[in-house]
Amino acid sequence: MLRRCSALIALPALLTVACGGDGTTQETFPLCAVDQGPAPLRRITRFEYGRTISDLTGVPASVADQLPPDEETLGFDDIADAYSVSSLHAARYLDVAEQAAAALTANAVKLTAVAGCDPTAVDAACAASFIAGFGRRAWRRPLEPDELAAMVQVYDATSEPGPADGVAAVVAAMLQSPQFIYRPEPQVDPGGMAATEQLEPYALATRLSFLLTGAGPDDPLLAAVEAGALDTESGLLAQTDRLLAGPRAAELFVHVAQQWWELGNVPALDKDRALYRTWTDATGPALAEETRLFLAAAWQGTPNLTTLLTAPFTFVDADLASFYNLPAPGGSGFQRVDLDARRAAGLLTQGAFLAEHAKADQTSPVLRGKFVRAKLFCTTPPPPPPDIVVMAPSVDPRFSTRERFAQHTADARCAGCHLQMDPIGFAFEHYDAAGRWRDVDAGQPVDATGMLTNTDVDGPLDGVPSLAARLAGSAEVARCTATQWFRYAFGRAEQSGGDICAVDKLAAAFTGTRGDGDFRQMVRATVRMAAFRNRPPGGSP
Amino acid sequence: MNGKTNRPLSRRTILRGAGGAAIALPWLEAMLPRRAHAAAAPARRFIVMFSANGTIPPAWTPTPGTSETDFVLSPILAPLEAHKADLVVISGLEQKGGGGDGHQTGMGGMLTGQLLNAGPFAGVGAPPAGWPVGPSVDQRIAEGLAVPTKLRSLELGVQVGAADNWGRMIYRAANQPLPPDDDPASVYARVFSDLHTDPAVLARLRRRRKSILDGVGAQFSRTSGRLGSSDRQRLEAHLTAVREIETRLTTDLVVNNPSCHDPTITPVSAAANDAFPATGALQMDLMTMALACDITRVASMQWSRSVSQTRFTWLNITEGHHDLSHRPDGDPAGDKLIAINRWYAQQFAALITRLKGTPDGASGTLFDNTLLLWCNELAKGNTHGRMGAPYVLAGGTGAGVRTGRFLRYDGQGLPHNNLLLSILNAMGVPDRSFGKPDWCTGPLTGLI
Repeated sequence: MLRRCSALIALPALLTVACGGDGTTQETFPLCAVDQGPAPLRRITRFEYGRTISDLTGVPASVADQLPPDEETLGFDDIADAYSVSSLHAARYLDVAEQAAAALTANAVKLTAVAGCDPTAVDAACAASFIAGFGRRAWRRPLEPDELAAMVQVYDATSEPGPADGVAAVVAAMLQSPQFIYRPEPQVDPGGMAATEQLEPYALATRLSFLLTGAGPDDPLLAAVEAGALDTESGLLAQTDRLLAGPRAAELFVHVAQQWWELGNVPALDKDRALYRTWTDATGPALAEETRLFLAAAWQGTPNLTTLLTAPFTFVDADLASFYNLPAPGGSGFQRVDLDARRAAGLLTQGAFLAEHAKADQTSPVLRGKFVRAKLFCTTPPPPPPDIVVMAPSVDPRFSTRERFAQHTADARCAGCHLQMDPIGFAFEHYDAAGRWRDVDAGQPVDATGMLTNTDVDGPLDGVPSLAARLAGSAEVARCTATQWFRYAFGRAEQSGGDICAVDKLAAAFTGTRGDGDFRQMVRATVRMAAFRNRPPGGSP
Repeated sequence: MNGKTNRPLSRRTILRGAGGAAIALPWLEAMLPRRAHAAAAPARRFIVMFSANGTIPPAWTPTPGTSETDFVLSPILAPLEAHKADLVVISGLEQKGGGGDGHQTGMGGMLTGQLLNAGPFAGVGAPPAGWPVGPSVDQRIAEGLAVPTKLRSLELGVQVGAADNWGRMIYRAANQPLPPDDDPASVYARVFSDLHTDPAVLARLRRRRKSILDGVGAQFSRTSGRLGSSDRQRLEAHLTAVREIETRLTTDLVVNNPSCHDPTITPVSAAANDAFPATGALQMDLMTMALACDITRVASMQWSRSVSQTRFTWLNITEGHHDLSHRPDGDPAGDKLIAINRWYAQQFAALITRLKGTPDGASGTLFDNTLLLWCNELAKGNTHGRMGAPYVLAGGTGAGVRTGRFLRYDGQGLPHNNLLLSILNAMGVPDRSFGKPDWCTGPLTGLI
């Protein structure tokens, strides 16, 4: 009985889980304590850099746009293997660091708060106090004596004409240093033989903060480290819950979901305006804002598959309502509006997703179907055979999309793969390439029937809500969601061994024991992973 | 080898060209080492221009005549007619590469002549690929020229966007892509700041930045010593980049060409599709001025990226370029692709015209000692083929190649590494091989 019980409780990743009805059993902590995967050096992404430097200096987070773009792979901006560095990077880090330093130096209140005195006065002790205080926040741990001495040296060399110049120089130097730009996790026991070693508490706090908020640790988190609170499970989870409740966690969720749903380019999307006359320069940004607000609302509510994939509400302002042919919302700006549940299905029927996964002049059942396979089921259809000329059929007003794509299923060389994608994509045909509802395509009533095959939720489709209902009930989609989160959270592709366990645990937390899990609980479960709190002594092999 | 006049300049000539009697002696004295160098050999320059998604070979290939100097430019290359005597059009080489999907492989091998390493970027129908295993030819040139210009090289782009191996062509070394700067405003600020900063302020800023970067460098050394080997390599690469900008910031800009002046730039929405031509024009202006000011001698101009979906609305083409490039031979889309490639030929011509229109001291124009290469990651978009990839060289009398020719290597199975090697040799870098050794069978016969 005990054995069976522990097998059951291997599934949920909540701290305590129901087992055998009325009792509760504490699950072994941490989760997946075998097969420590690699932990390559992380560079903070532009997203993280902007938020963190804004916290530290008051400069707008958008200064990060001046950095070269992050390498993106697996759909995410934080995959450590993909990073590269160039002198352009170094030049931009210098430039932005100087802007941030100037902003902070001009802010007497913030300066004094950091130093406990006025560091722009001629006062060496106060300067040292500022350097130690700012350094602790910027480098996410107290400076070691030689580091402090090195920064004091920068201050001494640059305090011309006055101390404020030295302060600005030290800030600029700290913000270009590896302790800020990267997340170095020093080896605790450099010569050790152990397969893993526990992170020291400041490094753990740094991981926690970037994971949950996309920014460096705040003062309460550093204080918790210094009080020893992160040494216990309850202390770690208390900080986790505090950060998860804040606005930064919601923003992080939006950031991750936007990447998962391939929406990064939506603000810049454009359509053939001869065919889509209501599309304007403002449409792409408005669609992105709609989805951002929806994701933030989902996070505040229940961020599970049912919400993300089926929720019949969205956010529009008057212009976007007009674009969608919806009644104008009350009030100004974007407002939450309820939609017709027979048509609407969460992210799947929002313009951002629909227009991104379409061509400039026509819908693309291939792109939409491929997204569902690749990003919701984590199975990427194989590429076309090398001898095939790949092209979307020309737009021809005499034929519907379905008719124009018929060759994919008529030609046996195409059919094998396109039968995996097109019949899913056809279910979206009520939505045109701009993301608006349509009843007619090429003079014919829209046929939005399709078929879902080779999944755990196979069956016929007719319109997006029918597809969404199946996806929301799919264990495979839940596990794929966990896989996406794993990649973002650990900054790398999943490998065999311990990573399989990790993704299983994350999926279980996302699903919940009785369908009561959600993304928030999956994020919480991440913190409980052994791989989150330990690292191989050599970093990445 | 160079059949055209390439008269070395006397120091006296350069002094006159640099402003004659108006120049104060102490300033000149400070410049002496550089002047001595320039008098020994005129400034050699190299420019790469890239456009994407292959060409339409029948519409690109010139019509040959009785000899290599007797040819008629094709519909795509017709905009280069005014510069025909300064061109070498090269057909029939195989653009080597491997390791990724068609576009990745083409983009990575185009200027490196190398394979891609295995890596994180999953392409279509190929194992995930990383960056190339060696440097690009322009970087080898920069290394070979060994001229202490403020910028070792200048990478400019137009709507290149994402940082992956579909969008990078310039490599400092294995696994070290150099991202192009897509924003003319930021190029202006970074490259020309010396020209619009008060000298006293600049001197103070340099001292200050040196102190800051010394401090930063020490932190990189300190931190990397505590990490495992691959993490340490990353920080060491970053430290190298920090040292490079430190050198740049502490190198004086020596202006000896009256053509050099602080450029003006007009605001442009550099990321907006329809601003593509205007952004490119600005970038070419800035590149020309960077060369005129001798801020760098190696530059690249990357229009979009492989798999480019630029919509050439200014040519009344609304479909994405890559979508069009996959239409079969004979499809009406072919006319649009010809128009697109022809437009790029106009841009290449406009760049040449800028160089020819910019005096280079008394020694003629910037074009005289400049070699340009226009290349593409593919030969044909609808097959992803790289056999017969389109290369056009352009160069002035001191560029090291014999121009006004159409060189056909069709059917010889020669790798494009041979072209890259010949470019190196033309630029005065006496290497014997370039790129993957077994892809380089020697210099391209007849080019230099």
